[in-house]
Amino acid sequence: MRDKPRILIVDDDDDFVEAVAFVLEANGFTVSRGRDGAEGIRLAKMERPDLILMDIMMRERTEGFFTIHEIRRDPALTSVPIFVLSAFCTRLPDFEIPSSGGWLSHDMFFAKPVDTGQLLEKIRQRLGQTA
Amino acid sequence: MSQPGVPETVLVIDDDYAIRLSCGKILAKMGLRAETFEDGARGLDGVATAKPDMVIVDLKMPGISGMEVITRVHEIDPQIVIVVITGYATIDTAVQAMKCGAYDFLPKPFSPDELRLIVNRGLERRRLAMESMRHEIEQTVLKRRFVTFVSHQLRTPLVAIHQYLDVLRHLDQTSDTAARRQEWLDRCLARIDELQNLIADWLTLARVEGGTLFKERVKVDLNQVIREILKTYQQMAEAENVLLEASLPDGLFVWGDRSCMSVLFDNLITNAIKYNKPGGSVTVSGTESRGEVVITVADTGVGIPEECRPFLFEEFFRVKNDGLKKTAGTGLGLPICRKIVSEMGGTIHVESEAGAGSTFRVRLPAWREPEGADGSQNHAGQAANIDCR
Repeated sequence: MRDKPRILIVDDDDDFVEAVAFVLEANGFTVSRGRDGAEGIRLAKMERPDLILMDIMMRERTEGFFTIHEIRRDPALTSVPIFVLSAFCTRLPDFEIPSSGGWLSHDMFFAKPVDTGQLLEKIRQRLGQTA
Repeated sequence: MSQPGVPETVLVIDDDYAIRLSCGKILAKMGLRAETFEDGARGLDGVATAKPDMVIVDLKMPGISGMEVITRVHEIDPQIVIVVITGYATIDTAVQAMKCGAYDFLPKPFSPDELRLIVNRGLERRRLAMESMRHEIEQTVLKRRFVTFVSHQLRTPLVAIHQYLDVLRHLDQTSDTAARRQEWLDRCLARIDELQNLIADWLTLARVEGGTLFKERVKVDLNQVIREILKTYQQMAEAENVLLEASLPDGLFVWGDRSCMSVLFDNLITNAIKYNKPGGSVTVSGTESRGEVVITVADTGVGIPEECRPFLFEEFFRVKNDGLKKTAGTGLGLPICRKIVSEMGGTIHVESEAGAGSTFRVRLPAWREPEGADGSQNHAGQAANIDCR
């Protein structure tokens, strides 16, 4: 792992990303941003983030799910933790990443607006850091 | 299932060989797909695999009775039309079969014409039932998806505001953070405005759909309406370095609601300014000929990519354009325009070249001098028949 864990946020709302990125950066993470699925896939392949935060409804209604599907097809990214952050619904089951990949192969769901304290805790847990 | 190009399927279940043979022939001649079975058990298997549109069943058969076949066919698909053949055509058995869910009955012996008549009638009913079921499902799905989508659109600015305020609450009140705090508070206010606009547009759309925005239909001079709008946006255009031009003859009269006409051209003109380029222009021109007023709003802006044009008038559709990150819009302006125009019996079209500009062309029925006292009533009657979808 690099000195600072890298987190990729894929979300089309600049303001949301700005606020969440601020909290993450203040807590020792490096943050990169993708404004849509295509940019998210490109950045994920290029930067190999330690964890991805993914919005669902971007340009397309289920763009986030397609994006996760696509990211998981890359052998180097099959096990990168992906947290779904969405205002799309308030609950979505958390999944263990299936080896087959697929639309729902994220491993945690957060309803927007997110509790950043909780988000930080879960990110640290997932990355094996101590809080 | 009845689909275009696919023949409808009719199953005949009868233990009488002659009946099966003749029915099969007649049905095939009618262009239908016919399958015949000699008893209830085989017939029900056939229903499960062939998924027929119609079943013709003999009431008196060895094995499973005709009555039971009716019930079990409807367990497979309640929309299958069932006609019973009965050799002992008493009113009682016919009534009992109908109670079990049969659509009609055919007393033995019957002529080919009688069979054709009853089959055609039954299939017609089946088509109507399927059509209305399809329509109902479509409407439900559309409505449900739409509600989800609208609530998502409304939630998005709220989420951003929440997230900013949450961080601001924890941010040290030092001079280092002053600029950032100010910027974020400004963004919160901007997102609140976005939400306000979204709600306002949403309400306008609902009012146009419900017809309540069309309070009155009067003679409206579009020349005057458009010139007032152009005056209002003169400053905005200058700030964007966009030239506003108008070429409108006197007396462009339509029969409509003044505030609706304002909403319509306000949307088109502000779009033309917003999606323009510095140094560009917006030209509004109008003509009247053959009972039709045509207004075009042409800009020299970023244009609309071809693949986006079919969706341009759909609710919440927004053209993806990297150069336009900062251009806030609700995605409801053009749907509102389309609804207003169609409510008035007109049309709206767009021509565009990506990178070179767009031209919106609105055609509306021109106002006419009423012929006698009932002139206005004609217009009102006309308006009531307009399909607003």
